[in-house]
Order: sequence, then C-alpha cells, then structure tokens
Amino acid sequence: MDKTTKESGQAAQTVDSAGGKPHNPPISPDLEENITQIKARLGNSPDLIIRTYELINRTARVAAVYMIGITDREMVDHFISHVMSFESLNDDIRLAATTAEVYSYIKDNALSIGKEKLVQDINGLLEALLSGDTIILVDGLGEAVSGSTCGGEVRPVSEASTQVAIRGSKESFTETISTNIALVRKIIKNPDLWTETMKLGDVTHTDITIMYIHGIADEETIKVFKKKLQEIKVDSILESGYIEQIIEDNKYSPFPTLYNTERPDSVAGNLLDGRIAIFVDGTPFVLIAPTTFFMFFHTVEDYYQRYDISTLIRLLRFLCLLISLYGPAIFVAALNFHQEMIPTPLLINLASQREGVPFPAFVEAVMMEVTFEIIREAGVRMPSPIGQTVSIIGGLVLGTAAVQAGIVSPAMVIVVSLTGISSFATPAFNMALSIRMLRFIIMVIAAFMGLYGIAIFTIMLIAHMCSLRSLGVPYMSPLGPFVPENQKDTFLRSPLTFMKIRKRLLNKGNSSTAPGKKTAKRNSYEH
Amino acid sequence: MRKEAIGPSQLFAMIVLFELGTALVVPVGLESGHAVWLSILMALPGGILLYLVFTHLYLQFPDLIISGYARKILGPWIGWTVGLLFLPVLLYNGSRNLREAGDLLISASYDKTPILIIDSIMIIAVMYILSLGIEVFARTAEIFFWIIIVMGLICIFIVIAAGLVELKNLFPIHGNDLWEALGSAYPNIWIFPFGEVVCFTTILPHFSKSRKIKKTGIVAITLSACLLSFTHAIEMGVLGENLYSRTTFPMFTTITLVNVANFIQRLDALVMLTLIIGVFFKMTVYCYAAVAITADLFKVRDSKKLVIPAAVVMLFSSFVSAENYPVHMSEGKVFLENILPIFCAVIPVLLFLIHRVRKKFGLYR
Repeated sequence: MDKTTKESGQAAQTVDSAGGKPHNPPISPDLEENITQIKARLGNSPDLIIRTYELINRTARVAAVYMIGITDREMVDHFISHVMSFESLNDDIRLAATTAEVYSYIKDNALSIGKEKLVQDINGLLEALLSGDTIILVDGLGEAVSGSTCGGEVRPVSEASTQVAIRGSKESFTETISTNIALVRKIIKNPDLWTETMKLGDVTHTDITIMYIHGIADEETIKVFKKKLQEIKVDSILESGYIEQIIEDNKYSPFPTLYNTERPDSVAGNLLDGRIAIFVDGTPFVLIAPTTFFMFFHTVEDYYQRYDISTLIRLLRFLCLLISLYGPAIFVAALNFHQEMIPTPLLINLASQREGVPFPAFVEAVMMEVTFEIIREAGVRMPSPIGQTVSIIGGLVLGTAAVQAGIVSPAMVIVVSLTGISSFATPAFNMALSIRMLRFIIMVIAAFMGLYGIAIFTIMLIAHMCSLRSLGVPYMSPLGPFVPENQKDTFLRSPLTFMKIRKRLLNKGNSSTAPGKKTAKRNSYEH
Repeated sequence: MRKEAIGPSQLFAMIVLFELGTALVVPVGLESGHAVWLSILMALPGGILLYLVFTHLYLQFPDLIISGYARKILGPWIGWTVGLLFLPVLLYNGSRNLREAGDLLISASYDKTPILIIDSIMIIAVMYILSLGIEVFARTAEIFFWIIIVMGLICIFIVIAAGLVELKNLFPIHGNDLWEALGSAYPNIWIFPFGEVVCFTTILPHFSKSRKIKKTGIVAITLSACLLSFTHAIEMGVLGENLYSRTTFPMFTTITLVNVANFIQRLDALVMLTLIIGVFFKMTVYCYAAVAITADLFKVRDSKKLVIPAAVVMLFSSFVSAENYPVHMSEGKVFLENILPIFCAVIPVLLFLIHRVRKKFGLYR
C-alpha cells in the first residue's frame, strides 16, 4: 500500500488493507449505492452518521457523512449548513439548477471554508472520513467533497509529567500531532522549520511527521532517515516506541539509540542543534535523532539555570550514573575479593554487621536489589494512593525488618538504597532502565571476578558503546571520537556566550549560532 | 565495505596508551639506577627518530603495512620471510604483557583464581574489541586515554600529598650516573617501550590525515615519555634505588605506602585498573598487528576471522612460555636485549635504508 501522502494530501490507495486484493471502486453516481458501500465497508458501525437532504425542490439529493466522536459537533453542523446554503442565489437560478450546478455551488461553498478536498474513490473517502472529515455526497456525481471537521475529545496541553523542570516552560506535548507541531512552531518562528508528513502502519494509518530546521540539519541524515521510515512495514504504530525499535541501528544493544521527550522546548533545542524530531500521532513522546549517549544526561533546564550550577548538577548526574551502575558491584567485590582495600576500622565495622547474616554478600545484594526492583515496579503500576502505601511498606517495613531479622546487613541496605536513588537522577527514563539491567550483570561479574571483572566488563561495555551509531553519528561522540569544541557542552555547561559554534558532527556549514557570523566548519562523520 | 579510518586524536590516544601500557607499572631499563627518569628522557630522541623512520616508510607506501612494503623493498621472497618472522615476535610480546598483568593480579588479590581464568577473560575482551574493528578500538582508546590521565593525576597527587617523595633518592646525579643512564636508555628503554611502536606500522594505513602523522606521533611519544619519566621519578623517590630494583611492580608498592589521614589508604585498585587498561590496549595492538600481518601474508580477505586464533595463541603462550615469574623476567631480559631490537629497530631501519638506496639509484622497476 502506498504510505506517502506528502504532497497531494490524497492517498491513492490501490490495495485493500484487509484482503490485500485490489478493491477500490470509484465513487458511483448513485447516492444509495455509495451509502450502502460506505456502511458495508465500515461494518455498519453505529458511530457512522449519514444525514440525507433533499435540496432545492427535491431536485438534488445530498448526503453528509461523518463519524461521531472524532469530529467536532459544532464544526460539522457549521460545515453542512454552510455548504448547503443557497441564500445568496436568486430563486430563478436556484429552481432551475441541475445536479451538476448544485454540486459546483456546494464545492464553491466548501472552498470558502478552506481545508476542503475532493475525493474520487471509496478508499480515499474512507480515509478522509476516518481522519475526522465530513463528506458531502451528491446524487448523480462520481465525486465527493470532504471538509476537515476534525475534533472530538482531546487532552489539553498540560504540565510535563515525566520530564519536570523547575524553571522553564510548563507545556508538554499532547496526543494530538497538530497541537504538538504547533507547540514547537510557537517556539521556533522561522520559515526554515520544515515538516514532512507520512502515514505508517498498514492497519492503523498513523500520522508521522518529521521536523527539522532546513539549513542546520544535515541533508544526508534526513535523506537516510526518510528512507528508513519509508522502509517500515508494520501493521500498527501505536506509540513512538514502535518506530524507535524498528529504525534502531543496533537491535542487540542494551542502550537506547533514540532520545524521546515530551517537552516542546527540548525538541526546539535539539532541532537547533541540527537534529531531527519525529512526531507520532497519539503519543506525547517525540523522538529525536541522531542521539548520543551524553544527551541522556542533559536536560533543557541546564541551559536555563546559570552555568556554574548547571555544570555541577551535570557532574552530579554522571556521578549518579557511576553509582547506579557500579554501587552494589563494587561493594560486593570489595567484600569478596579486596578486603584489604577497605580501611581497617571500616572493615571491622562491616564485618561485625555481617556477623549474623547467613548469606554471602552477593546473594544479599541480589536479594535486596530484586526486592527494590519489585517495590519500584509495583509502585509504578499502582494507583497513586496505593502506590504510596507500597513504598512505605517496601521502604520502611522491609528495609528495617530485614535488617532487624538479620537477613541483610545495614550497610547493604544503605548501598542498595543509594543505588536506587541514584538511578532516579538520570533524567531519561529509558537510559535509567538500561542502567538498571546492566547493574545486575555487573553485580554477577563482581561476585565472580571482583574489580578485575568489573574493569574488563567496563572496557567491553565502552567498546560496545563506541561501536554504536545513531543515524550514522557515533554514539559516544563527542568523547570518542573526540570533538574539542563540543566539550563545552558535554560534562560541563559553559556560559552561553561561549557557545558560539554549533555542535559539530550534526551539521555541515552554518555552524555559528550567532547570526551573520558564519564560521563554516566542515563536518566530519568519521572522527 | 568502507575503509575504517582513524583520526589524529585517536592515533594520539592509542600511542600514549600503548607506550604507557605496562611500562608505567613494571620497572623499565633493567639495571638503571636512580637516574631512571633521566634514562627515559634520554631514550626519547631515539624513540622519535625511530617513529620518523616508520612514518617515512608509511608515507612512501600509504596503503601497505610493514610486511607489505617489506615485500616491495626486499623483493617478494625475502620480504615475505621477514614479514613471517614478525608474527612470533608480536604474539610472544603480547603474551608477555598478558603474563605480567596476570601475575600482578594474582599477587594482588586473586591468589585463589587460576591464571587461565584471569588471562582468558582478558583475551575475550581483546577478541571482542577486535571483532568490532580498529575504528571502534581507536574510539575506545580515546575514552580510556582520559580515564588513565584522570586516574594518574589522582595517584600522583595523593602520593605527593602523602609526603612520600624524597628528593634525596633522585639526586645528586654524578657524571658516572649519566653514563649509566645513557647505557640503560640505549638500547633497553629505547626498545621498550619506544621501539615497540613498530606495531603501529600495521595501524597507520588506516590513518585519515596523513599530513598530521608526524606531529601527532611525535607529540604522543613525547607526552608519554614525560609521563613515564615523571611516574618513575616518583616511584624512585618513594621507594629508593634498592627497593625500586627489587620489587616486581614498583608502582604497586609505591601506592600501597600511601596513607592520608588514616582514611585514604590502599589505592591499589587504581594501580590495578591502570595496569589492566594499559595491558589491555597494548595487547590489543599486538594482537591486531599480528592479525594484520597474517592477513597480509596469507591473503586473508576478512582479517577478523584471524582474531580468535591469534588471541588463543597469545593466551596459551602467556603461561607456557615460563614456569614462574622470575623465569619470565629473565627470559624477558634475553628477549629484550637480543630479539626485540632486531624487529623494532634493525629491520625497519634496514628497510628504510634499502628503500632510499633503491629509490636513489632507480632500482625499482
């Protein structure tokens, strides 16, 4: 099936999605037949509304077809009444009008509303109908007018729930793609902000829009990306996560190679860095590509606060990354293999705590970590009032009781809870998930091989991360490959006035962020 | 398939990590006295000259590795044989690094773990990274370069802060010491670690900016010489000549003496990490060099197929080559004095000279 509806806005569909056989009759001149056909194709769904009118002394029979629920009631009524009003015509013409003339009046009337289009075949009609359009069919004509009356219940723009910022815009994306695009357009008022739309999903026909700033984003990347999107062949796209998983370069990696956000200002900032945003209808999460590892530890708020504070907070986040990856592993390794590394008084303290504990440190750590993961997972799915109960039971009762019962040592509880809290400090949830998973692997390795195992695993892990690419951009840039000018905005966040040159690796030319001061630096993708 | 490319900063990081590798941890220069730090600096010019020989040959044959241009310069038969002779040397030297790391780990805290396990874990990592390609390896090196620098700074700062360095262990330097230093600089320190850069002749064809090749390498070698000299000066300053020459791993011994405020003590982990990272990168370079030369000699299209055999040979030779560490060290002395100079210096310089002669007299057809 043809998925691209970019230029014309009309899908020329030739294959029936359900049967896979060509089944796309043109709209017949017989109104009754059309109505029967539409009803049959939609399986007599009760939300399909067909209103028939007999206009102008019953010479012309007209039907208005729309779906209730996905259309705006007022807009439908307005559209129908506007289209079918013939007050402006004098009686002579009105009475003498032929069907064709009536139809052309209707067309003219619809045109004055705007967003109208003509459909010639049943599939095009159905697609318009299911997108929330109202269709006007006229008896005796093999053509129909459709007008956009899209509406229905939508969630209003509300505050971001997963990427909260103390300072900065409180807006977050909604489930409606047009609202989402508008939210970004409101921030970047520039004609170079380009969007392209396509429909994906053989069954769901989900609207996908890619957005980039022409002249900043790399043309080659956009081309590669569009090709990738067009190659997608799936039945359904229910969330941007589907696209993320399908277009990922490396499917066997624990690391996410696409970034998602629900904040319009984050999207705007990334677009200005030369990245591409992918909007998917029905989800507030917008994908951003190409993605690098360090993006997951940056937030938009870093740029809103003063640079010294932002830098410290960023460093803190990287420290939290290390703790949440290695915390329990290093503790287990130190207790099992490297007791001599712990200062003697502390070692005696730890040993006396562990005196009554019947398990090896590794078992103890895994038990606590698994318990922690259970509490967290249960807390996420619970309705919020019960969620709190779970966390109290989990945190207080289990933690304290486990220590008092002598099943785990208090030090282990401290390590595990520190690890847990650190993992919440990662701003991106999908990266935090990957780290959670890796933490267990590192713990197992630490139990068998101590620090040596951890070191070797880390070398392999970093080598793996260096081998990843997101849309051709190395995942670990700007550290490996090392890009000196991007160091101002990786671990550190230098003052805004220092960041005159736009980040490399993402854009060719036009690299100055200050207008009129173009320092055309050639981009190099290899190193 | 696209040719893998390495940028200047990546080559830089690789050379520094390679030079520091084991040289940071084990004593260098065999019988050098308290002026070891001076010997390292004395060996630096020789190291740079040797590097310039390699780069000259690279610039003459930008697409060929050493066994490739050996065949061009010496003719197919002799050149092929010379290339083949490199293989055991590279594999053995790589396995020596593995042995040293394994022994340090066992003496540090893995006294109950079989050396086979420790060595094979390292080898698995080498295989993995080489299977990802030299470009990924170069990027990883770039990241670990910073990790090593940060860890080194922490170690040096803490050792100095602990007030352990005694300058009387380093000075005075008499005229006699100078000659002694020069004696240990050439050929020993010149060959290990500087001469070992011969491995990079197999990596240079991947270098993307051949204009910067000399500058990158010279800066990298100079930096690593300075770091090595400084580190060994500190080790010597802390331990004194007697202890320095007797310990197997002077850096390890140095760091165990640290005790700041009864809290910062036993930073062995940092030294172990330095050694693991250094050995890992050095071994990977050796393994890559061996693989590249084998692929070139036997015309293997997909050189990644050779990674596993080469790594396995390295693994086993690491513990069958010597029954214990003292034997390993004495073998190393023989190897370093008699065999390594031939491959690191004599053969490349001969290639260079013969190439100049043939070119001058138009002996190339």
